[in-house]
Amino acid sequence: MIDRLCDQAGGGGIAIVGLYCDILSQQEQSTTSMLGAILKQLVSRGEIPEHIWKAFQKAKKEFGGRGLRLPDIVEIMKKVIAGLSRVFICIDALDESTPKHRRDLLESLREIVRVSANTRLFLTGRPHVGNEIRRCFCKVVRIPVSPRLDDIRSYLEMRLDSDTDPDVMDDELRADIMRVIPEKIAEM
Amino acid sequence: MLSEHPQFTGNIGSFNNNSFNNIVSFSTERDPEGRQILQWLSPLEPQQRHQGVRVNRLDGIGNWVLETNKFRKWSGADGCVEPVLFCDGNPGVGKTYLR
Repeated sequence: MIDRLCDQAGGGGIAIVGLYCDILSQQEQSTTSMLGAILKQLVSRGEIPEHIWKAFQKAKKEFGGRGLRLPDIVEIMKKVIAGLSRVFICIDALDESTPKHRRDLLESLREIVRVSANTRLFLTGRPHVGNEIRRCFCKVVRIPVSPRLDDIRSYLEMRLDSDTDPDVMDDELRADIMRVIPEKIAEM
Repeated sequence: MLSEHPQFTGNIGSFNNNSFNNIVSFSTERDPEGRQILQWLSPLEPQQRHQGVRVNRLDGIGNWVLETNKFRKWSGADGCVEPVLFCDGNPGVGKTYLR
């Protein structure tokens, strides 16, 4: 998705940023670090804005070098986004974050999108997170994803062609694989 | 990886539209304080995962999603569309690997 949007964007003040939620990284993927990672990509595009330098200098002087809080990140993001023409934020596998982190992340994004008409969100996840997303954003465009038969066949062909041990393969086995796997998936 | 996207090479520091390609170069080119600030914003590096996904992705698969009117409308320049697009599906159907 990110690469397609990048191809489509073709330059200008269009920012495409993304995040992959990971069930194995729930510990370090707090709402703050996830939203911070999106902000980091937005500001990595060029010079770090003055207001961020100042916020950093101030935080450094405070007790123990204070970390950013979620509301701070939301406010900084609004400012950064306002300086861009369009922003696409892509977040994969929302279901892999904890329910609390997910709720806080969606609420922060809602606040950002509310004041940023130039911002679009692309979210993926298992169907059950759909209700949480719809609770946060009144209207959501939904595309249900399921594997297409021709996609499965192309993938199988690629895997068979790149087999590192082609000697154990013969035409019959290949034909069986190409028949049985798509059949089984279609039944799912 | 960069060579696949010739339009993004050689212009580090310009107002580039692909953050994923640039973030590594930026963080190595920045002065120590710039790097500290980026680290302060977040310790996560999602572009690393993105490179992994990109390497394993088979071009063309899942492209039907990108050909739907819903996607075109959402990603287009028309200002009056719904801002949120949600692709849902069971584990393993290929949501992560949409180009």
